[in-house]
Amino acid sequence: MARFIIVGTGAAGISAAEAIRDRSSAAEIILIGDEAAGFYSRPGLAYYITQEVPKSQLFPFTKKDIQNLHLQIINARATSIDAQAHTIMLHDGRKLSYDRLLIATGSNAALPSLPSAKNLQGIVKLDTYEDAQNIRKLSKRARAAVVIGGGITALEIVEGLQTSGVKTHYFLRGDRYWSNVLDETESRIVEHRLQEDGVKIHYNTEEQEIIGKRGKVIGVRTKAGNQIKCNIVAYAIGIRPRTQLAKSIGIKTERGILVDQYMKTDTPDIFAAGDVAQVFDPYSGQYIIDSLWGPARLQGRIAGLNMLGESLTYTKGVPFNVTRLAGLTTTIIGMVGFGTDVDLDGIARGDSETWRQLPDAIACQQSFDINHLRLQIGSKKILGAIVMGDQTLSQPLRHLVSQQVDITAIKDQLLKPKAPIADVVATFWTEWRTQHDIQ
Amino acid sequence: MTLRSYLKRESTRRQALVTGYVVPDSSRCVQCGICSYNCPIDIDVRRHAWVGHPIKDKHCLTCGECVNRCPRGVLQFERTNIFDADKLNIEDI
Repeated sequence: MARFIIVGTGAAGISAAEAIRDRSSAAEIILIGDEAAGFYSRPGLAYYITQEVPKSQLFPFTKKDIQNLHLQIINARATSIDAQAHTIMLHDGRKLSYDRLLIATGSNAALPSLPSAKNLQGIVKLDTYEDAQNIRKLSKRARAAVVIGGGITALEIVEGLQTSGVKTHYFLRGDRYWSNVLDETESRIVEHRLQEDGVKIHYNTEEQEIIGKRGKVIGVRTKAGNQIKCNIVAYAIGIRPRTQLAKSIGIKTERGILVDQYMKTDTPDIFAAGDVAQVFDPYSGQYIIDSLWGPARLQGRIAGLNMLGESLTYTKGVPFNVTRLAGLTTTIIGMVGFGTDVDLDGIARGDSETWRQLPDAIACQQSFDINHLRLQIGSKKILGAIVMGDQTLSQPLRHLVSQQVDITAIKDQLLKPKAPIADVVATFWTEWRTQHDIQ
Repeated sequence: MTLRSYLKRESTRRQALVTGYVVPDSSRCVQCGICSYNCPIDIDVRRHAWVGHPIKDKHCLTCGECVNRCPRGVLQFERTNIFDADKLNIEDI
């Protein structure tokens, strides 16, 4: 009986286990995870800290579901692998043998290197179930908080703290929010909404020192010399794929673990999937990291089936995410920005490196009240889109971008000054879906 | 509520049930559980989204609570078109 070991109990790991069990009732499947919480919805943590869902709702699988899948879950940290002997060591000294191994260790939130930020109660991140509980606990007593960083996670923390009645200061190192994914209009929409909710945004501001007293945070001193009193300092400055285990035995890595289209690493019988995997992107010809739930699930499934001996290929699709930015539902599809953002080192959670790979393209946009639509038009197709507010066009645009639909017929209309682009796309989509029989 | 209005509501609900149901787009779902949490009759909508199945539970009220609450637009009410209302002459039933 073959033994499959999966390191990681997140979306990729669970999907791989489910896929293996789908095809083989006899396979022995062991998941190793260093979080006692096991499998939970990491994106759901945002809604837990805004008190939209209770803790119990964060777990998509019940104990019975796990039992029905005959999965053995070991709460431990994997410390090393002997690829030759096909064994994996755990922190408690246990050694397990495997036939095929999947590394789905995900990623960790990066933390600041400030010496003053060490060992103080009140310094938080939103990375794990435990972190979310910590934020909820601290918010009950805190009066003010400083949030530092960018991307989706920073705003999730801001929203969570605001919901708990904590006065929130948001530090931006640059002059606008998420500058390499959003354009200036979009950044301003988000910032304006935050300010309306009572968030104080500090532009061009960087922390110099976290001030502590009796082991607790009491304030932040900025590089400009200002001091802000607070009980919480939250960091969301990017994530790092957890590649240590792979690196320790020389598996080829760059920012993540490099995998081929079968999700295989360069070491026999070892696969990787999810946030930790760096996969080939046929659009850009580069190896890319997505920190998104959907790709993690799909990669996990394909890795699981290939661990059983199948030869399925993973084709990286157009990355998209539907999220909430300052309470505004926002869909980000394909290539929409470029360059770097001083608030983030690399990417954040719910993010994709592809979003920052915009080649030559012309932007057209339309705004109405809080609704905003931006399209990045290439020579014959839409390369990327951002839909804020009204989500009617979210699904159609995802289809048009991912299927690389030829939009030459409407390109001139879209690029006219003050063009009603939402109407033009809607009409085009209605005709297109009828012609191609799409539901 | 009068009996007439109650019957009217029941009839509308049943009509909705035979003409459509809530359908998830799994690729948008992150399993946050808001849908299941807000379902008034405890249907595990989230599990349906995980496996990509429409919510064909006979108890579903098609109240739209899950559709409205989902922060990512995963759920949509879709008509099945199995029963054409005109042909069935539902209004006369």
